Amino acid sequence: MIYLDNAATTLHKPGTVWKSMEKAMRTCSTPGRGTHAAAMNAADAAFSCRETAAGLFGVENPEQVALTFNATHGLNLAIHTLAGQGKTAVITGYEHNAVVRPLYSRGLSVRQTVSPLFDQARAADAFYSAIREGADFAVCTHVSNVFGFVLPVEKIAEICAESEVPLIVDASQSAGVLALNLADLGAAFVAMPGHKGLYGPQGTGLLLCGRTPEPLLMGGTGGNSDLQTMPDFLPDRVEAGTGNIPGAAGLTAGMRFVQTKGVGRICRHEIRLKNAACAGLERLHGVHPIWTEDETLQTGVFSMVFDNLSPIEAAAELGKRGIAVRAGLHCAPAAHRTAGTHDSGTVRVSFSAFSTMDDVYALISAVRAIRR
Amino acid sequence: MIHYLMMCRSLTYAQRTARVLEKAGIAAIVTKAPQELTTDGCGYCVKVSEKRLADALINLNKANLPPVKVFVSGTKDRYSEVQL
Repeated sequence: MIYLDNAATTLHKPGTVWKSMEKAMRTCSTPGRGTHAAAMNAADAAFSCRETAAGLFGVENPEQVALTFNATHGLNLAIHTLAGQGKTAVITGYEHNAVVRPLYSRGLSVRQTVSPLFDQARAADAFYSAIREGADFAVCTHVSNVFGFVLPVEKIAEICAESEVPLIVDASQSAGVLALNLADLGAAFVAMPGHKGLYGPQGTGLLLCGRTPEPLLMGGTGGNSDLQTMPDFLPDRVEAGTGNIPGAAGLTAGMRFVQTKGVGRICRHEIRLKNAACAGLERLHGVHPIWTEDETLQTGVFSMVFDNLSPIEAAAELGKRGIAVRAGLHCAPAAHRTAGTHDSGTVRVSFSAFSTMDDVYALISAVRAIRR
Repeated sequence: MIHYLMMCRSLTYAQRTARVLEKAGIAAIVTKAPQELTTDGCGYCVKVSEKRLADALINLNKANLPPVKVFVSGTKDRYSEVQL
């Protein structure tokens, strides 16, 4: 199988990831549930994960790194913290349901900005206008999961800081691909999955905390056991119950892979493949990749539409030829509405550090065979 | 052997404390605090040897990681608080 659905989950992981997980499965119990070797091994695994993440993402101290189950979990924690009765949230037009659904479930007033694809200046302007109308907090995806469009998150963070509006950054598609620094952004929270660009396993994620979040789950933390409320400090405040320690060990190994390889190098590799794929596909009749060559505006993720094939049919046909891609709305209907592809959806192609130019040739060849 | 226990608010805080000390060449062990020293149930501390307390405190202050309290071991595993 040629796996080009890395924006959902990177399938191919460094060997160190599963070796670390296997070691953790054999040697770790739960942090804070004793001082025997197995509990302390688990504590070390969790701490290494926090410490590695803090180094990679400019977090001042590892306690500010909460281990979550995925980016959705982190986003829910962040939104739960900032949301309240009658509050207004400003979001971009490219948000995932992991942002939109928690906002609407709390009955918030949501002001969604609209700006065209691959236009950072207009995205920032639209955000500025929306913030000026008054907002209690803002959420911005760093990179669209549908189109790979890089939102001007630094500019948006500046706008929020000037207006003293707390910002939540959804780094689901950028962590491990673009430089990201919590201290520089000054964001209230940055949420990310472990299983995409950080090459960790499914069921892992990180919430980088610029402030103390409110817990969604209450329970044991292995400390302060006589308190009937959750501790008021991180990370214990948001880590009730036994966490995914083998996952944390795997995520640490994945982040070390990213550090060794280099975020910039991984990004350039993926963009090179994306540009080659789009240039090749564009020469074919009946298929339309949605892309820009400008590497500051799009990562190694792109969508395409077909003249005479629905995205679902196209993805199924590609699947029969051994090419794994994703079709539909990609849990981000807002992004499709913004880009004008909501009626049909798109076929999304996404590369990883393990993708090759041979994968690109195979994709083009398969698309040539299925287009009508 | 006489040793000191530096009380920490959480396991992660104790791990950070131990990391700073290890980087400064000071042996430090993260352990559960003796029950008599905890006020709200399970707590954590970092154990250092008698000779390294001063160095440890200097390094922790530099790292902005002061211990909540420090105890010194006495006879029969009884601890008394060190006034800093």
